[in-house]
Amino acid sequence: MTPARPALPREFVAVHKRRRMMDAMAELSAERGYGATKIADVVSRAGVARKTLYDNFAGKEELFLAAFETTVAEARETVEAACAAVAAGDGETIEAGLQALLEFLAARPAQARMCMVEALSATPAAAVQYEEAIQAFVELLREGAPPAASRPNTLEETLVGGVAWVLQQRIRNDEAEVVGRLLPELSGFVLSPYRGVGKPGR
Amino acid sequence: MDRLPRGRHGLSPEFVAQNQRERLIAGLTEVLYEVGYQKTTVSLIGRRAAVSKSDFYKHFESKDDCFYAAYDSAIDRIREQVLSACRRHVDEPWPPRVRDALSALLAALAADPPLATLSLVEGLRAGPGMYDRYQAALEGFVTFLRQDAPPALGGAEVPRATDEAIVGGIAALLGRRVQAGETAAIVELLPQVAEFALTPYVGTDEARRIVSAG
Repeated sequence: MTPARPALPREFVAVHKRRRMMDAMAELSAERGYGATKIADVVSRAGVARKTLYDNFAGKEELFLAAFETTVAEARETVEAACAAVAAGDGETIEAGLQALLEFLAARPAQARMCMVEALSATPAAAVQYEEAIQAFVELLREGAPPAASRPNTLEETLVGGVAWVLQQRIRNDEAEVVGRLLPELSGFVLSPYRGVGKPGR
Repeated sequence: MDRLPRGRHGLSPEFVAQNQRERLIAGLTEVLYEVGYQKTTVSLIGRRAAVSKSDFYKHFESKDDCFYAAYDSAIDRIREQVLSACRRHVDEPWPPRVRDALSALLAALAADPPLATLSLVEGLRAGPGMYDRYQAALEGFVTFLRQDAPPALGGAEVPRATDEAIVGGIAALLGRRVQAGETAAIVELLPQVAEFALTPYVGTDEARRIVSAG
């Protein structure tokens, strides 16, 4: 006799549906742009009822912002874990973090495009959250950087902005899956200021 | 930009048209600076430029069309200021010329907050058409940077992705300061920005030496 299928806990189902809605928003905004993405398309892609979406999110913008925040939080966790796994050394921590970030983006092209391309022009609130995410990575880089005598106080901001720009271009050209290939150039670029005083650039 | 005298002025239609177009571009730049992209409307632009709505539509199909023209004009002005600074230093080696180009760039932006806002801030906010232009402008600077650039220490050519990161990082940094209302102060960033641009090529020590020699 076939055992009856156990009912999944309600909370698990709810969380899973939230994830499907956020993923659907990421995919659709990457495919069509935020402006052209409709709630009807999102619920259809996510396989949920319209009511379910509105039980969870006030509307399209809140869903987009939640999807953005969730992706950024996961990216930070991934990068922090990779950095923590490397004994602090001459740039090894930074390289490990950068590699983890590139692999994270490459594995999630829709989320990559949502966060790094669409968010800038979606809504003013999205642009603000994008800036906050950049600041979070600037802080991460400062923490992972080798200790130094003197460095320009804008260094990490410029490095993160530069890496973001290179990634944005590739992601916009639908090359998210291969951003891993940029690791040698990007790590060379990020590490060159830390090879620092008294040492030649790579 | 001055409005033409009322009534018969005997100026050619081409001149009048060009003058109107320039006033609309200047009007958009100012309004954009004051209220941002979302709130900039054809009405506001027309009123600022002292051009009627119907005359607006003789020159531009839409607000975005005017925006594109204003953006292109802004980039041209910035490029011209940077290039003429470089022409004055054409006999210098590459690293100090990059420093001088950056100095001219910062000066051009700092002197004109609406220009800086249009070119650095609103470029990324207003959708794909603007993004393409912002990207093309940065690509232009990358090409300029790579012209006559030396190899890095050790002899390997600096990869293009590195130059894209240098230009993109500086643009993002300046854009953030401009957006925060700190446009006039960006000239103080020259030492940091020049060091940032030169370090992948010559290392930090030499970059700092070149910057302080400027």
